Order: sequence, then C-alpha cells, then structure tokens
Amino acid sequence: MNTIAEHIADFLKEYPPFDNLTFQELSDIATNIRAINLEKHAVLFQNNDPLHDSFYVVASGVINLTTIADAEETIINKCHEGDIFGLRPFFAKNNYMMTAKAREESIVYAIPIAVFRPFVANNSDVLNFLLESFAINSRHTRDNARSNGKLDPDSNFMDQQNEMQYIQSLSYNNSPLTTESHHIVKDVAILMTESMVDNIVICEKNNPIGIVTHADLSSKIATGRYPITETIDKIMSSPVVTVIENVSLAEAQLLMLKHNVSHLCVTKDGTSKSAVKGIISEHDLIVAQASNPGVLIKEIKRSQLPKDLKQIRDRLSDLIQNSIQKNIPISHVSNIASEINLAIIKRAVELSILDLGSPPARFAWLSIGSQGRKEQLLLTDQDSILIFEDVAPEKYREVKDYFLRLAKRTTAILEKVGYEYCPNGHMGSNMLWCKSLSDWTKQYNSWMNTPGENSNDLSSIFFDYEIVIGEAKIEEVIENVVFKNAVNNTLFFDFLGNDALKRNSPLSFFKKFIVEEEGPQKGKFDIKTRALMPLIDSARLLILNANIKGIKNTYLRFKQLAITDSKNAEIYLSCAEAFLTLSKFRTVEGLKNDDSGQYINLREMSKTDKEKLKNALTPMKDLEELIKSKFQLTQFS
Amino acid sequence: MLDWIKNINKEYPEFWKDYLTKLEAKPNKYVVLSTETSGLNPNKDVILSLGAFSVIDDSVVIKENFEAVLLQYKFLEEHGISNEFIIESKMNKMPEAEALEAFINFIGNAVLVGHHINFDIEMLNAALERLDCGRLKNEALDIDVMYRKLTDINDKQFSLNDLCEIYKIPKSDRNSSAEDAYKIGLLFLKLKSRLGIR
Repeated sequence: MNTIAEHIADFLKEYPPFDNLTFQELSDIATNIRAINLEKHAVLFQNNDPLHDSFYVVASGVINLTTIADAEETIINKCHEGDIFGLRPFFAKNNYMMTAKAREESIVYAIPIAVFRPFVANNSDVLNFLLESFAINSRHTRDNARSNGKLDPDSNFMDQQNEMQYIQSLSYNNSPLTTESHHIVKDVAILMTESMVDNIVICEKNNPIGIVTHADLSSKIATGRYPITETIDKIMSSPVVTVIENVSLAEAQLLMLKHNVSHLCVTKDGTSKSAVKGIISEHDLIVAQASNPGVLIKEIKRSQLPKDLKQIRDRLSDLIQNSIQKNIPISHVSNIASEINLAIIKRAVELSILDLGSPPARFAWLSIGSQGRKEQLLLTDQDSILIFEDVAPEKYREVKDYFLRLAKRTTAILEKVGYEYCPNGHMGSNMLWCKSLSDWTKQYNSWMNTPGENSNDLSSIFFDYEIVIGEAKIEEVIENVVFKNAVNNTLFFDFLGNDALKRNSPLSFFKKFIVEEEGPQKGKFDIKTRALMPLIDSARLLILNANIKGIKNTYLRFKQLAITDSKNAEIYLSCAEAFLTLSKFRTVEGLKNDDSGQYINLREMSKTDKEKLKNALTPMKDLEELIKSKFQLTQFS
Repeated sequence: MLDWIKNINKEYPEFWKDYLTKLEAKPNKYVVLSTETSGLNPNKDVILSLGAFSVIDDSVVIKENFEAVLLQYKFLEEHGISNEFIIESKMNKMPEAEALEAFINFIGNAVLVGHHINFDIEMLNAALERLDCGRLKNEALDIDVMYRKLTDINDKQFSLNDLCEIYKIPKSDRNSSAEDAYKIGLLFLKLKSRLGIR
C-alpha cells in the first residue's frame, strides 16, 4: 500500500500516453518513480551526456529543451505540467542530443525505462504517442537550428526553401531489379531492357555487392573490352554506395556528388551487409526537386494559361500537406505558400495585360485580407483592390474602363485557378474598389475619420494590404494615409476595437466549445470567426495603434507588439503561439475536406487535439481584457 | 536520575541490536518522516500513523516508502474514540510494537528529516521505551530550522502549510502522514539544494 504512488497515478492518468493505461498499471509504474526537484536553471541532462535509465514527466514547473547550434542556445520545446521528455533511451543508444534545463523551479518524475518498456510493447497507442513526441522534440531541432538568426527577409525565404529541401524525403524505386554474379551479361542486358530500367543490382544472399548501369555497359561491353558472354560480376561497379531508408533529398545529393555515382542503393540498415530495399537514381532527385517551392515559382512565371496555374496551385496544396505532416513550423509554410500565391496572382495580372495591351497609366494591384497578411494556406476567396494614378479628367473614363476590364479578366483567371470570387465583392473588378489614387485617399480618410457614418460596410480587411504588381509608390501613399489618420484617432480605434470584440466567444462558461446550432455546419466549430478572426482583428488594431508600419502578418505583429509593449509581452507571445496552432488546425481541416477549413468537426478530433485547441483559445481572454483597458470602447457599444 | 544504570545490562530486542550495529556505518541516505499523533504529550499520547520516504541522490524514491496505521486499541478505548474508520480503511495496519520494529528496520542509519522533527522523535522514543529499546540515535534535520537558517529569521516558526505555500508545493485534499512526508521530502530537496547540503 503506497498512497503517494496512487496520487501520482492519479496525476499521470490525466495525460497522454498514460491515459491509455489502467489505474492499476499506473500505480505499479508510479511506485517505481523518483521525484526530483530542479532549481531554476538546473540542468537535468545536457547534450552528449550518457543516457539516463529513466524518462521524465513534468510534475510542476517548466522544463526547456534546448540544443546548441552555432554557439547559440535554441529552444526546441517547452515542457509544461504533464509533458514527457527525455525519450531518447527508448529509441536510441547514443548520448542525449539536447539539454533539459528548468526554466523555473520544477519537480519532475523520473520513470525508469525498464519499468515502462513492457507497457510500450503491449500498447500500440502508447508507443505511437512516444514516437510522435520523440519525433517532435527532435525534429524541431533541425528546423530551428537551421533558421535561427536569419533576419534578412529575402534570404529567409531562400533558407526556408533549403530547409524544405533538406527534409524533403525522396520517393524512389523500391523494387529494384536484382541478379546474381554468375549470370551472363547478355541475359542481364535483356532483362534490363525488358524491364525498361537503366540499372541492376548484383546481390549475394540478398546483400548488394555491386551495380551495373548503362554506363558500365557502354564503357565495358560496347567498347569490346569484355565479350557479352562474360559473367556479370566482371563488369559490375563494386562496391555499391549504400544508404538507409528515408534518406533526405539533400543527403542523397551529397552522397552522389561525393562518390561520383549516379545511383544509390537503399539497404535495410544502410550498409552493404543487409538486404536491398530500393535504388535511388539521379532522376528521382530531379523529380523530387520539381515540387520544391523555387521551381514552382519559376514555373508560374512561365505559364501561359490559367490551366497551368491551376496545376501549380494543386501542387502547392500537396507541398503544404507534406510540410505539415513533416512538422515544419506553420509560419514557414505559410510564408512559402503566400510567396507562391503572390506569384500566381501576379502572373494572372500579367496574363491579362498581355491580352489587353499595356495599361494607359501606372497602377498598383493590392491583395487585401488574408493574402495581404500572407496567411493564405488554403484556397480561399480572392480579395483585391486596384489603384491607378490620377489622370486628366477627360481621360478618366477611358482609363477606369481599361482597369476594370483588366481586373475582370484577372479575377476570372484566378477563379479558374481555384480562388473563388469574394462573396462581398471585395475585388478590383468591382467599380467601387477600382479607383484612382485620390479617390482611394478620400475613401480611407472617410473610413478612418467618420467610421460608422454612411460607411457601415467598413470591412477591416482593407487595412491588410500587400502589393502584388505595379507601382510600389502607390502602396506607400496609401500606407501613409492610413498611419497619418491613425494617430490619436480614438473614434477609429473604438470602431475597430468593437469590431474585434464583437465576435462570439469560442468557449462556453463551462469551457465547452460553442458549436454551430443550425445550418449545414451544425455541430461543427467555426474556427475562423470564433478563434482566428478575433486574434487577427486585435493584432491589426494594436499594430495600427502602436503606429508600426510594414508588419503585415498576424504572427509577426504579435511578436513585434511583445517587443514594443514589453509589459504585456507574455500575452502577446502566447497569442502569437495560439495563432499558429489555430492556423494549423484550420489548415489540416481544410486539406482534409478540400475547403477553406472554416468549420472544424470536433467529433473527428482526438482528445489531445481538443485539449491543444482549447489551450490555444485561452490567451484570447487576456487579449480581450487588454484591449478593453487600452481603448475605452464606449462610442459604438 | 540513575535510570541509565538500570539499562546498562538490559537485554534489547533483536531488531534494536541490529539497528545499533547499522549505526556504526556512515549514513548514505535520508529518510523523511511524518507522524500523526493523538496529541502533543509524548508521555500520554500515542502515534496513530507513520509515513516515510527515502531520499537518495536528490530525489524522493517513491518505492522506498513506509506507511502504516497503528492499531492503538487500548488508547482509543480508554479515551472513548471510535476506531471504526481505521478498521475500515484499506491502509496497512499494524499493532504498535510491530509497526515500530518495521519502522526501525526501514530507517536504519539514515539521516532523519521532518517538520519539527524533535517532537516526532520524542513520540517515537516514548513508544520505543515501551518496547524496552533505547532512544533513536540517528542524525536529524528539521526543515523549519533549515528554512529559518536560509532566510535568517529567528523569531518565528513556520508550519508545514506555510512552507508549502512559500515553495508552491501543490496542496492536496487528502491528509495523511504519508502525504505530509512526501511534501516534507519535496521541501527538503528544495532547501537542501539552496543550502548546499550534499
């Protein structure tokens, strides 16, 4: 009888993977636990320490998992109450690859591996959870290590591209042609021709001893150095370069360059002493690179038809899906996705110009809304405005006519690509949103100085804009108008503040999700309006209020706010994190159902995911309070 | 006053002799303990339950625990207290003599740690005397004293609850000597590292 062990079991059963075990099993495990106290900044284990005989659960406090890369400490993960870490001893024999350090005074439970292993072996849910956690904790390493200290926004995009490439996995021929050393060259060549491949692996008891490729045949047989009746082992290239399964694109490339070969042989354990699993050819590398973001952008620039653009957009969806599965941080994925979206829209405008002839005046095509914020991961509707420079009154009609036709054409192309028309008509093809610069200046002035008055349709999406194509100066002018009007404009901020807070709250009083009560989406959770929009609106409000120009992304806005308004930094940072989590949920849901992911089907979600989602909703409360106290929201409420 | 002369040639019970030989070695672990008693007078009151854990290498080892409810039929009857609850509970139950023997075997030569441990030791000594044993000779540490030493406060005592509050040890709704011992264990780890005790 050990009452404390039972208390600990009680604690554990709340958290995965322990929730898969019975109370009796947990009590047995808890009996063998050691409770360890870690003072602030105490190190539990560090990089290259030999493995401990236990893994750890945080009982209270916070443990940071970090790696050292380029003499800089990078946080991989923060472990809170109930999180597990230090799983390496389960899966690997070499030393720890990270450092576990207490961020605040913490108590952790050490669970001996020997005690826990039987439960892992007997319970696949537990095993899967551990594998997943292990993968997350270690994979972040690579991402973060590769992206730290990248401040230059241009090079950042390139880096992300490389990063994707680095982890991009290869698909290759996994049923390679094999033969044995005593076969005759001619027979082997016939076999290769019949199977239409350019290589064959020579095996001895399933282990690769050499490889014959077209190069060997042409240099050794066609030159007459060996007769075609020779046995194949005389002309094979040996030894063969072997790699393990799941090799990354970058690694495969490196190996081919290093060994100056055109084929890599995949074996079970990566050495030539195990069974052949597949063959990677140069061609496989080329295929893999084709769905790399850089290549996509080049293809966009070359496409002539909406059909081509559509095909590229479809490949982008695959790319996004893959990246999310591989746990690449969502902020990187959305950056890349918006670059590609941007390129597609730009190309659509260019194609229209090619059709209509060159424009009679300078203009700017701005994306507004989610694309303006660079947050568009899924195919959502298109929002855009068109601004052209002021022209002489007698030419005005003609010019406006041209741009309206241009915009109509462009939006039609985009519609074919898969971006739906905006249901509210927020597009450059709408007469209202295709205007001269001075009209637009007036428009923004009236929105901001007399909000609510005769322009009830003020849609806040007009305050997120990004230039797609045209004169950058025009965008600058609009930006100046917005920020000039924003200074001390309490009325405007009240309006935006009320707008941000008027959305319905995501959780009921009892912390249950509030779901749609009727309509086709009945029983689903509206993540867009109930969770994402309030965060987006609040970030926009606060950044306009702080008079910070040029930051358009909600995540970055919160990050920037944390720096500028440091006393509320914690709230902003948790909102930034929450925003990413929520975007990810939306994207995953959208990819699953091939729609915009606005409604989440809670019934299909796992318990942990629901918890994650709920946790991401908690910072909103603090943010709401912050906004309420910052702006006296009286005029419009 | 000359009591010790009486004891000089007295034959101790076996377990006590074992205990005395264990004491010759250097202590290699700590034992945190907590007692639940019927009152504050070592001569009249009795121990109702005992809870203890080993602390080895800066961690509380849950497996090495000692937990027992003492069956004090005689005492309870004299004072007209119901013992129904004790009988019904599924805790480990032992008569006083058996429990103390097991406890002495459990602690061995370890350094004892408790909250106001002098009182716990007095209670244990009184019980040991009833078994014709000597007094406990282990080194003992008091977490209240440790805390006051750390903070240089001399005019005030701190209850276990105060200390838990200060170090944010999660409170539990359950109350038992094992629970207390566990909390003392965590507090001890925190104080120990702050005071730099090895």
